[in-house]
Amino acid sequence: MSMTKLAFLNFKRSFKNHLSLIVSQAFTILVLFNFQAILSSDAFAVLGTRNKAYIDLLVQMVSFVLGCFMFFFIWYSTNVFLTSRKKEIGVYIFMGLSNEQIGKMYLTETLLTGLSALALGLGFGFLSAGLFQMLLFALSRLEVEVLFLPGPKPMLTTALLYLAVDLLFAVKGYMDIARSSVLSLLFAARQKEHLWQSQILLWIRTIFGTGILAFGYGLALKEARQGVMANALAAVVLVTAGVYLLFGGAIPMALKGAAADKERLYQKQRVLWVNSMLFRMRKNYRTYAIVCVLLLCSVTALATGFAMKGRYETIIHFENTYTFQLLSQRTDLDENARMLIQEESGLRVGTQMPILSVDPSLIQDDSFYSHYAILSYPHLMRLAKEAGLAFPFEEPADDEVIQVGHPTLLSLITDQSQRKVRINGQTFRQVASSTIPYLGYLQERMHFYVVNGPVYESLLPLGQEICTYNYQIEDLGRFPQVRDRLDGLVHSQEAQGLPPIARVAIDPASNELDWIKVLYSLCLFMFMVFILASGSILFMKMYNDAFEEKERCQIILKMGFDRTLLKRSIAMELGVTYGLIFLVMQISSFFSVGALGKMMFTDLTLVDLISSAVVLGILGLWYLLSVWAYGKNAGL
Amino acid sequence: MYMYQPDMTTVSDLPAAAPAGKDDRPVAEVKNLVKTYGSKGFQSTVLKGIDLTILKHDFIAIMGPSGSGKTTLLNILSTIDRPSMGTAALDGQDLAKVSNKELSRLRRDKIGFVFQDYSLLDTMTLQDNIALPLALRGTPGRLCLQKVETLAASFGLTEHLGKYPYQLSGGQKQRGATCRALIADPEILFADEPTGALDSKSSRDLLECLKTVSKRGQATILLVTHDPFCASYAKDVYMLRDGQFTCRISSGGDRKEFYDRICDLQASMGGDRP
Repeated sequence: MSMTKLAFLNFKRSFKNHLSLIVSQAFTILVLFNFQAILSSDAFAVLGTRNKAYIDLLVQMVSFVLGCFMFFFIWYSTNVFLTSRKKEIGVYIFMGLSNEQIGKMYLTETLLTGLSALALGLGFGFLSAGLFQMLLFALSRLEVEVLFLPGPKPMLTTALLYLAVDLLFAVKGYMDIARSSVLSLLFAARQKEHLWQSQILLWIRTIFGTGILAFGYGLALKEARQGVMANALAAVVLVTAGVYLLFGGAIPMALKGAAADKERLYQKQRVLWVNSMLFRMRKNYRTYAIVCVLLLCSVTALATGFAMKGRYETIIHFENTYTFQLLSQRTDLDENARMLIQEESGLRVGTQMPILSVDPSLIQDDSFYSHYAILSYPHLMRLAKEAGLAFPFEEPADDEVIQVGHPTLLSLITDQSQRKVRINGQTFRQVASSTIPYLGYLQERMHFYVVNGPVYESLLPLGQEICTYNYQIEDLGRFPQVRDRLDGLVHSQEAQGLPPIARVAIDPASNELDWIKVLYSLCLFMFMVFILASGSILFMKMYNDAFEEKERCQIILKMGFDRTLLKRSIAMELGVTYGLIFLVMQISSFFSVGALGKMMFTDLTLVDLISSAVVLGILGLWYLLSVWAYGKNAGL
Repeated sequence: MYMYQPDMTTVSDLPAAAPAGKDDRPVAEVKNLVKTYGSKGFQSTVLKGIDLTILKHDFIAIMGPSGSGKTTLLNILSTIDRPSMGTAALDGQDLAKVSNKELSRLRRDKIGFVFQDYSLLDTMTLQDNIALPLALRGTPGRLCLQKVETLAASFGLTEHLGKYPYQLSGGQKQRGATCRALIADPEILFADEPTGALDSKSSRDLLECLKTVSKRGQATILLVTHDPFCASYAKDVYMLRDGQFTCRISSGGDRKEFYDRICDLQASMGGDRP
């Protein structure tokens, strides 16, 4: 019988054992395919070129993350697959097969598994692509025609990407087997019961892990001006390494401590589950750490989604504070403009305020704006009162400024304290900042510093004073008519050779920021992908571990102890394992979501709690499923 | 040529095994025990009307070739299997009349097991393995610890308590398994080929321990073996063949002499003398 035929027969025989591997890989392929289908579809084109470009960029980024995830997932699952088969491989060696022959057989089996996963993933991906797009658009509240049948491009891209990764690890497996000695292959099968760990190594992991994790948490919350991105990246690396060392060091150490306290350990089934957990923690700590990091990603993705949604709504509200804004050197336009608006739609809010536009070269600060203007504190206070906006500021001293800007999705400057601004060589201390839309959309385009009245007067020679007229119309449905009337005013001024008027109109029907809504939906999908992936990895691990447990359960049953006791022990063990992973994730998410909140200038504590509650709920379902499968596979 | 004639008696003539202490109530008893496997037309009778009474502090070995029914008898007495006919009683309770749940309770409270493959849990240390039966039934931790230490000392395992099964030799594992079986003070200890996987030194160590336990009146022991050396540590040896007891011999006190008698008996019954 040829090796290929033997491999095929092996694959057929153990298809049930391969099923969890095939299904989990097929799921990854399905998700990747769906994102590729979006990339290749023109559905988003109706939102405009700018939106489409942003969305394509986002989907490409998500696809990259998914690609990385697929890479590590296949690496992990093929390793598990190879380790579980080493004993069988050892037997083949005793039967006289060469390492190369067995390697070839393994390679064929891995490729068959990969091809099955690919067929399944692409098949379901093809069928679900329309549904996925529908969900994405529905979540984003976008009305876009859905393309139900994706073309060949996403299919080809996904297949090539997956096959490349799968082939890479299949060849790696082949090389591993071809280069292994018979003894090492046989020893690998016995590793299950030989899990000795050096006490010194445990201590090193505990000390380093705790230190690295604490440092990572500290960096995540550290406020900075320019180094936020570097801090965030370092925090991600440190927290990931810290979580890995925590599961490989401090947690087994704590369990060892619990197992050493015999008086407390000998309390009914505690003796079983504490020992069993200690054994599994030594064996599975890498998996638990991966799952914990994936869960952390899922909570952060969900929190990002919620935060983006909140920020989108804030931005929209900010932009819609005024429907029209006029800018001119003239100070007598208000009456005319109000009359026009009143005639067409009615006026809800109308304010007028001078701003001092200055040459950007005269201002040095750590932002990157090309337009700056100075505002007078008394003028702004009056405008706030007229517009009914909050004004929670004390009048700045002669060397102080208040910064007035706009809400951003993310800011890379989180440290707002002790900021210094130089205006024409004079240094001012920034005492407060605000994103209250006093000047509406203008705040998006210009950076404003508020100084006190006398300082404003002294700075007048530095630039040109322009009067701003800000209006919110009553009937948004009359937007085009009001715009036309105001344009008429602008043109008549020009025709009369009077100083020009600039007109800003914020179309309430504009979809310029729709890509943020898609980002929100993508975050939700990423959350789903991460939570399903982490849950399935944990479930897969426990599902396989349970077969090892069968023998142990039989021994205890023979001793006369009932199944209920064993089931309680299993429920405790799995519960504490899931609980520990959740706890580490929850503590870490406090810092990751906190860092995100700082970058978005928002308190995301509630979002973190809600996201964690959602994760806890889903993890709870995975837990119940694991307990059921574990008991079943352990013969209970 | 002189040939040694062992003292052969048929089962029906046998008196009950001699009690070692004052308490002579039967711990386990089977009467006219029959066990049949298979369905109609393809039935095979493994035990054919066995009678056996085990008194408190007995140390009995059941010997016989493969397929003679030794393990079946042990399984029935230890409540793992049920008789097809006849009665089997443990601590006065008829095993045919109790529920599965009650059988589990009997097994947990009255019986200790020693298996050929040790059956230690590889996820826990020897100390935890020994303490397991007590801990699982809710005995206070301090008491568990005391009992483990005492028992481990008498089996020469004190130094190995903190080790995991894979760090122990076969003999140490089996002595540990015996400690686990004895820790809850069972009415009776069943040992199925306990030395089957051990070398001669480890076998001797284990059997000496069992003998000491029996002498001190700490346990009633029923062991099943095909090894005359192992059986020679018992007080009484029952020979089982084709599902029936063929004879019983009792030790006179000298183990070596008893061993010779067992070997001769085996030879006279058609087996080879080891």
